[in-house]
Amino acid sequence: MKRDDFSDSRRDFLKKAGLASAAVLSVTALSPVVSGGNLPLADWLGTGEARAAENRTTINDKLKTLYGDRRIEMSHVTMKTPIIAENGAVVPVEVSADLPMDPDNYVKKITIFVDNNLDPYIASTELTPASGRAALALRIKMRKTSPVRAVVETSKGKLYGATNNVKVTIGGCGG
Amino acid sequence: MPAIGKIKIRLPRNIRKGQVIAVKTLIMHPMETGFRTDKKTKKKVPAYYINDVSVYYGDTLVNHSDWTIAVSANPFMTFYLKADKAAPLKIVWKDIKGGVYEKTVQVTPR
Repeated sequence: MKRDDFSDSRRDFLKKAGLASAAVLSVTALSPVVSGGNLPLADWLGTGEARAAENRTTINDKLKTLYGDRRIEMSHVTMKTPIIAENGAVVPVEVSADLPMDPDNYVKKITIFVDNNLDPYIASTELTPASGRAALALRIKMRKTSPVRAVVETSKGKLYGATNNVKVTIGGCGG
Repeated sequence: MPAIGKIKIRLPRNIRKGQVIAVKTLIMHPMETGFRTDKKTKKKVPAYYINDVSVYYGDTLVNHSDWTIAVSANPFMTFYLKADKAAPLKIVWKDIKGGVYEKTVQVTPR
């Protein structure tokens, strides 16, 4: 601001300020890539959200701690979820894998993840050959719209996965 | 919360020997996340959830689940079982306050 702004009347000052902010807004709107692209994430989210974002473990960290650098093949696993979940507190998820359940080669574990939950790890089930079929259905909670992932681990140490996007209208983790 | 630990287990009506059957289970449990605030007292409701589920068919363990707060209230789970013998099917749920809930149903394939 120039120094003679201080001598302006209140009305003039407000007018100028309004124009200035409008100009800034229009620039932002016209070139969102240039002006919005390099803002840190914390500035976009409110402070509460930003703090939660800092504290939570991301899906990548979680997958890394559980499976290390092993490759997850996106095949053999099918997941049935609703496209839109009206109530995030109850989202039915069905995971099934067309893999053998023989005594020497079977599906050892099915794990379900939701990327945008505070803790992306939802539940895991260890199966045995007595299950007969590598499948599981469970109802889970989702905080907001997010990809839902299922990872299947075989007794031979191979990993298979599937991902579905689920849109949530009302979140289901309370608070 | 009324009737915590009330259990329903549903098996198919006719089971052939060696058939892979779907077993549907439901247990009444609040599954509190620990994030929710009580509207009256304005206090956080402490976390209270089932974290361990085991299924036994006779003496063999069929599956074992590890759950977190993100499993819905009154958890409903469907799993599969190869019905190759007449044996009791026992399902045990354990919550973080030490509650143990279990129910046994008889599987009799024909």
